[in-house]
Amino acid sequence: MQIYTVCDLTTYVKALFDGDPELVDVWVQGEASNCRPAASGHWYWTLKDEEASLRCVMWRSQAAAQECLPEDGGAFLLHGSVSVYPAQGQYQLYVDHVEPVGVGDLYRQFEALKAKLEAEGLFDPERKRLLPAYPERIGIVTSTEAVALRDVCHVLARRWPSAEVSVAPTLVQGEGAPEMIVAALDAIGGAGVDVVILTRGGGSLEDLWAFNDERVARAIASCPVPVVAGVGHETDFTIADFVADTRAPTPSAAAELATPDAWELAQNVDELRERLGRQMRSQLETAVQELAYARRRLTRASPARTVAEGETALVNLGGRLQRSLVSRLRLARADLEGQRRRLAALSPPATLARGYAHVSRRRDGHPVRSTADVVAGEGIDVRVTDGGFGAVVEGQANLFPLEEDE
Amino acid sequence: MTSSSKTTPEATSELPEDVAALGFEEAFQALEDAVAQLETGELPLEESLALYERGVALSERCNRLLTAAELRIRKVDGEGQDAGELEL
Repeated sequence: MQIYTVCDLTTYVKALFDGDPELVDVWVQGEASNCRPAASGHWYWTLKDEEASLRCVMWRSQAAAQECLPEDGGAFLLHGSVSVYPAQGQYQLYVDHVEPVGVGDLYRQFEALKAKLEAEGLFDPERKRLLPAYPERIGIVTSTEAVALRDVCHVLARRWPSAEVSVAPTLVQGEGAPEMIVAALDAIGGAGVDVVILTRGGGSLEDLWAFNDERVARAIASCPVPVVAGVGHETDFTIADFVADTRAPTPSAAAELATPDAWELAQNVDELRERLGRQMRSQLETAVQELAYARRRLTRASPARTVAEGETALVNLGGRLQRSLVSRLRLARADLEGQRRRLAALSPPATLARGYAHVSRRRDGHPVRSTADVVAGEGIDVRVTDGGFGAVVEGQANLFPLEEDE
Repeated sequence: MTSSSKTTPEATSELPEDVAALGFEEAFQALEDAVAQLETGELPLEESLALYERGVALSERCNRLLTAAELRIRKVDGEGQDAGELEL
């Protein structure tokens, strides 16, 4: 028994391929998919039909010489040699010539369904529903095995953690996947969610094929809540993307489109709260100022002030009254004293004390006021301050009448 | 029913019951309304104070919704019924 190393065995198999006259010069026809040039400039893709698939590679130099390069979904006639790539243990077709042979079958199906649904109006912009701004319940239709679900939940947890997330698990590729996706969409549509994220990660055209199924498209269109589709990569477009209310380039992007950013909102909330506080403070300050102003006005308008002014005036008046009365009284008293003095000066005893005498006729007691009141030889009574005496009129005395002072 | 209790008991303490029951959208809208109304400056002081207190509660409610501890993920079966927690 001979034991080979992997390398030796692979080299042996490769020699079989390389020595086969049919395989070194072969024409093969099929549908291309996953066509893309590598960074090196070499092209890699898969050629397939209903039953089988074939890895293809075309070197950069060959690719540069082609009039036509393979495209996803297109049917192509290729020429080259089949050999083994030892490092991966894969046999592949080393292509040196590419010819288009009309439109590939899957691609034709895709285009036909797209045209049909478009004609029905399923892609119309007016049909697109707005996603809820703040979904409280989010439904996800995807495979629970897929990385896509973790990506989506990661984004949801970061952006919108208060959401309730319901997942309707389904196959997302292969036999039976379309029916399961339809059932999952129906289930999630009946679960009271606000928005549905229909997603799966990247894959080949064949892997994504379930999302080009007419039943899936119609289930999306009839879903009672808006649907965000995030199927495959940026460059993948499926019928599901066209019919969904919003198309996202990737699963993570679908989660972002379906949710607001909690941090951004938290800032908005903070700002509103700030404004709330500022407004309240300013209103309180205004109220305090108004109160102070009102108190000042009240003080100014207070009767206490008038009363105080009145009191002062009253005191002043009282004072003036008193002063005027006192002086009037004093004057009156002085006046009275003068009168009294004058009166005293005129009284008979005072007059007699000053040396005047009162003379009356003895015969009748009549006061003698004039020389004519008496005759010579007549007896008179003379009263002086300490008594009186009798006398006899001799005759005229040599005295002149006194004039009244002016 | 897929909806379990939306908030933990701690999160609802202090907040008025009606505020604690609001979803983010209603709470945020109500907060915006409260601020706008307060900013007209036409309310009597007493009403302003009541509105201010409500606004603070609303902003608290919003914050709690935005910083919920972790995402709750549940599985839904074929009839749209809750089929339990989902571990990722």
